[in-house]
Amino acid sequence: MDTQQAVADGTHTDGQSDSKREGQQKFTLGPNDSLEGKLNYGGHMAIDGGHAEGEFRLGGNMEIGNGSVVKALIEASNVTIKGVVEGKLTARDKLTLGKAAKLNGDVQVRRLQIEDGASLNGYVRMGDFEQHSGS
Amino acid sequence: MIGQVYIEGDLRVGGIVEGEVEVTGDVAIDDLAKVKASVTARDVSISGSVVGAIVARKRLEVTRSGSLIGDVRVARLTIQDGATFSGKVSMGATAAAPAKAAETKPVVPEAKPVAIEPKAVVPEPAVQAPIVAPPIAPPPAAKAPTAPPPPTKAPTVPPPAAKAPTVPLKTQPQKGKPKGR
Repeated sequence: MDTQQAVADGTHTDGQSDSKREGQQKFTLGPNDSLEGKLNYGGHMAIDGGHAEGEFRLGGNMEIGNGSVVKALIEASNVTIKGVVEGKLTARDKLTLGKAAKLNGDVQVRRLQIEDGASLNGYVRMGDFEQHSGS
Repeated sequence: MIGQVYIEGDLRVGGIVEGEVEVTGDVAIDDLAKVKASVTARDVSISGSVVGAIVARKRLEVTRSGSLIGDVRVARLTIQDGATFSGKVSMGATAAAPAKAAETKPVVPEAKPVAIEPKAVVPEPAVQAPIVAPPIAPPPAAKAPTAPPPPTKAPTVPPPAAKAPTVPLKTQPQKGKPKGR
């Protein structure tokens, strides 16, 4: 969790109030925040209008809000995308693409929901995971 | 149903389809349907199970009971929670979609061997030709100088032609084999 503390300076942690699962923290990247690099985080993460680049591996969920731009390798339980994402994405549980979502990259998911209006380019693989921490 | 389908209008699939489906309108694949085919249409709605490439000029929808394995080119894509989907998705480049659709056509390779057999029968008409020629030949022979050539040919052709039908039949199957390979 050292990585998280290093990152936490530029962000704020919401504690457990927003998290769906008890005991999991969540941090949000606001419109003026940006994140670059490698992140391993046990909790949830939300990118709300911010800019993020790198490699994010989350124990919890990832939420990418409207107007956010993310270029990253993403790995999380549930991933909800309403912004623009470029990169490989792994959702251990479910991936949701909202109306305005744009996703460029290969996707591995267990469940997938795509709303009308969303745009997706890349390979989709569905099914159980042989491993999730990966290379 | 197995084979190629081209329909101007809409199509609803409730059973089993294998091959290639091309529809100008919309395609609906029902709950119990099993499709192993490339599907080209305007709107495609999948509730059953589909294995094959899909090209939807407008929209592809996979409902919660639907299952799709194959590459997809669509303008708009909706996938409901619970649906199964694996494959490559290409969106946005709608203009390229119709062109690529024509590429995947299954070719039936072994249709030509049948065409070889009629060739073996060709010598037989040669036998008939001289029979027809003599009756006709006398009248024209008196009128035109061009007529004599046919009678002269007639006597020469029959002897080889009589033997020919049996011999070529054995030789021609050998010609057929190289084509098969």
